[in-house]
Amino acid sequence: MPALTAERKSWLRRELLDLLGPGGVLSDPDELLVYESDGLTLLRALADFVVFPRTAEHVASVVRVANRERLPFVARGAGTGLSGGCLPAEGGIVISMMRMNRMLEVDYDNQIAVVEPGLVNLHLSWAVGPRGFYYAPDPSSQQACTIGGNIANNSGGPHTLKYGVTVNHVLGLEVVMPEDGRIVWLGGRTRDALGYDLTGLFVGSEGTFGIATKVVVRILRKPQAVKTVLAVFDTIEEASAAVSAIIARGLVPAAVEMIDQLTIQAVEDAFGCGYPRDAAAALLIEVDGLRAGIDGQAARIEAACRESGAREVRTAADEAERQLLWKGRKSAFGAYGRVSPAYMVMDGVIPRTKLPYVLGRVNDIVAAHGLRVGNVFHAGDGNLHPNILYDPRKAGEEARVVQAGAEIMKVCADVGGSISGEHGIGLEKADFMPFIFTAADLAFMLRVKTAFNPTDLCNPGKIFPTKKSCIEVGPMAYRPHAIEEQGLAQRF
Amino acid sequence: MLLDTLRSVVGAAHVVTGVELSPFVIEGHTPIAAVFPGTVDEVAAVVRETAAAGAAVVPWGGGTAVSVGEPPSRAGIVLGLRRLSRLLEHEPGDLTATVEAGHTLAALQATLRARGQWLSLDPPDAERATVGGVVAANAAGPRRQLYGTVRDLLIGLTVVTAEGAVVRGGGKVVKNVAGYDLPKLFVGSRGTLGIIVDATFKLRPVPDDERLVAVGFDRLKDCGAAARTLLAGDLIPSTLDVVDHAAACALGLAGGPALVIGFDGLGEQVEWQVAEFTALVGSLGGGDVATLPPSAWSRLTTLAPEAVALPAAVMSLSVLPTLVVDTMEQGALVARQRGLVSAWAAHAGVGAVTGALQAGADSAAVTAVLAEWRTIARAGGGHASLTWAPLGVKAQLPAWDDAGAAGRIMQRIKAQLDPGNVLNPGRFVAGI
Repeated sequence: MPALTAERKSWLRRELLDLLGPGGVLSDPDELLVYESDGLTLLRALADFVVFPRTAEHVASVVRVANRERLPFVARGAGTGLSGGCLPAEGGIVISMMRMNRMLEVDYDNQIAVVEPGLVNLHLSWAVGPRGFYYAPDPSSQQACTIGGNIANNSGGPHTLKYGVTVNHVLGLEVVMPEDGRIVWLGGRTRDALGYDLTGLFVGSEGTFGIATKVVVRILRKPQAVKTVLAVFDTIEEASAAVSAIIARGLVPAAVEMIDQLTIQAVEDAFGCGYPRDAAAALLIEVDGLRAGIDGQAARIEAACRESGAREVRTAADEAERQLLWKGRKSAFGAYGRVSPAYMVMDGVIPRTKLPYVLGRVNDIVAAHGLRVGNVFHAGDGNLHPNILYDPRKAGEEARVVQAGAEIMKVCADVGGSISGEHGIGLEKADFMPFIFTAADLAFMLRVKTAFNPTDLCNPGKIFPTKKSCIEVGPMAYRPHAIEEQGLAQRF
Repeated sequence: MLLDTLRSVVGAAHVVTGVELSPFVIEGHTPIAAVFPGTVDEVAAVVRETAAAGAAVVPWGGGTAVSVGEPPSRAGIVLGLRRLSRLLEHEPGDLTATVEAGHTLAALQATLRARGQWLSLDPPDAERATVGGVVAANAAGPRRQLYGTVRDLLIGLTVVTAEGAVVRGGGKVVKNVAGYDLPKLFVGSRGTLGIIVDATFKLRPVPDDERLVAVGFDRLKDCGAAARTLLAGDLIPSTLDVVDHAAACALGLAGGPALVIGFDGLGEQVEWQVAEFTALVGSLGGGDVATLPPSAWSRLTTLAPEAVALPAAVMSLSVLPTLVVDTMEQGALVARQRGLVSAWAAHAGVGAVTGALQAGADSAAVTAVLAEWRTIARAGGGHASLTWAPLGVKAQLPAWDDAGAAGRIMQRIKAQLDPGNVLNPGRFVAGI
């Protein structure tokens, strides 16, 4: 992509300002810096413009300008993504959706809400909470991340084990099409789509199929009752066996999270949530639903953990204790700051029965590279998050982290798993796609992309393996994301 | 020539021609042959050879959904998947299973149940319906209220493309965002984008207890009001159906329209919910709560056509849950106004309504009523398509509702993935 001349850029800036109004366009390099990364701060790239539409028509008009100028464009939500998915890989226009953040309608009787994509995930649950409802997908950045970003990544979270990921909660989308800015509805408000499930296909397409401007989501009734169990183990193997034992008993918890020793110690140093420092692993298990039978379910989970060798099992006595246990889990990422100057979060998925083997392999790989790893992850659905700790000031350490990460992804692939459970492929993992997909698989996907995005101006360079890259991976690249610094979110 | 080639690919014993083709007639069109490959490679070879000869390929599982859609737009072969019927993998600890497309749903469920698990889908005709067909037809049953539909359970699949390539989408793990979600694209695609040869699903543990109960009301409206009250409360039903008087009779219930509700879970949960439900409907003017036999579950989806002696057409209407009863009432009214009898049943909690029209003297009236039903569905933001109708009706009324601007995207996907229009041509939405 040839760089825009200064004259052309100035002319385009005025045109975009005319379309979007005062304050709708950034083009000063200092201002653009804020948008050069997402939550994966290792990768950086600068756009020519960042624009702030307020309506679908605004988005469409920007897309039309981009097409006329052959400029690539990419939609961006809160920028909390962890795979570089919203980076302006080849310059062009970043379309920030943050001003399109309204709740347009809530239909409690039909249990749906119509929202704009810039709405913050947690704000949706807050808005419908007083009526006893919530929005189920709960990525851990939910205080900051947006519904639109969740759609791009098909985001998950701890409670997806029972309630499913974003795609299970989206019924319809208003979308600006990449080629001509046409505004089209995919799906709608009813449960069954007519024809191909374009909504299901769009969710998780990482911004390469177009830009969603309205979203119809399902909202759920809050469960009557919740029970949270902490189980403490002296070995990772026993903790993994307990996950299998729970499933073997026919229980479907809302969440099963595992926290390893390094992470427990970091959490206890930082916050003191009551996890035993000498434990090899702890499981945090939640069941929810009807009040009837919930004690029995908690008892069955406790029994499964004990029989798998748990040395201590307890059920949170009240909401305060429950919140404390979850705080330990949710602040794990922040706590790594106590034990390491930097860390890189990995995201892989494996069949649940392969947990002990793969966790062992992860430890071996990281140790072989002279690094340390902390594990805190969604054990119930086999979604690993090994966090490799490192010091970016030490020469070569970052390269070893990247190498160890690639080897871990290979292990996930080799046991029949996947290279991403919820963070997406973006730029980070595009070159790992051949670990799990053949050339024929990728060629087929590329054709699907061409049907939506024939000119490839809409978020180019993502998902598919590519040799060309304008992305800078620099030394000292790790920096905490702005929202991490504010204590608003963690990475997992 | 093509037949000789196909015989050499799959063996002469697996190519059916002539009078034996009668079970494979599609909307009056007899295929050139019905071919039954025994391996994925043979499926690919059959597709390549047939496409090269300029004929179409119609994938065929149990043939349970063959009446859905428009008549084929050109001649082709039926590619039957019954020989691809192995359960490839079931790891109980992972709660996943991978199964070949020609495996029947009933056989899969029997195997899984013996191991304490099940695929939480309950479409009708499970003895004949195959796994590949269930995915391609997006078939569902009453328990979709709690467990969702194929899109919520399918995590991976393998397809043979229109060019005879073998492509895999998704994976074998329950959470996966690597690459585009091809499984979603194939759910409900009715064989127009590729031939599904295997599928991987998330499973659930078999519930300890399950109960199906029904309660009659004086008016359909009262059933609707009760359903709404239920959904706004704490109960978590696995089934929430509303059936009109005729459909209730077909189910053996006397005394008017009924709410049919199911509960799954621990014994304690089921008991509590049935008790709560009984108290609630009592306060809302319902009659006695009757327990239905488990066999009634599998009849709920087809209850409306069962309730008319000689159906003239059957239509599926997708509407907002709150509009279900209005849709049923208005639909019955417009039929009556044209002198026709209709029967109605709905998976009410998810807005999936089925109307069946009794045959009458006046065939023009049938088409007119169906067009009005479609208008009713659209008025509430929904859509309606024929699930069964004679060719004469389909000649007057498109089988599928209008997909609008999204139809153009669907056509582009079809053109990308099947440029030669080889796969099941002409039968789907938007002329696909």
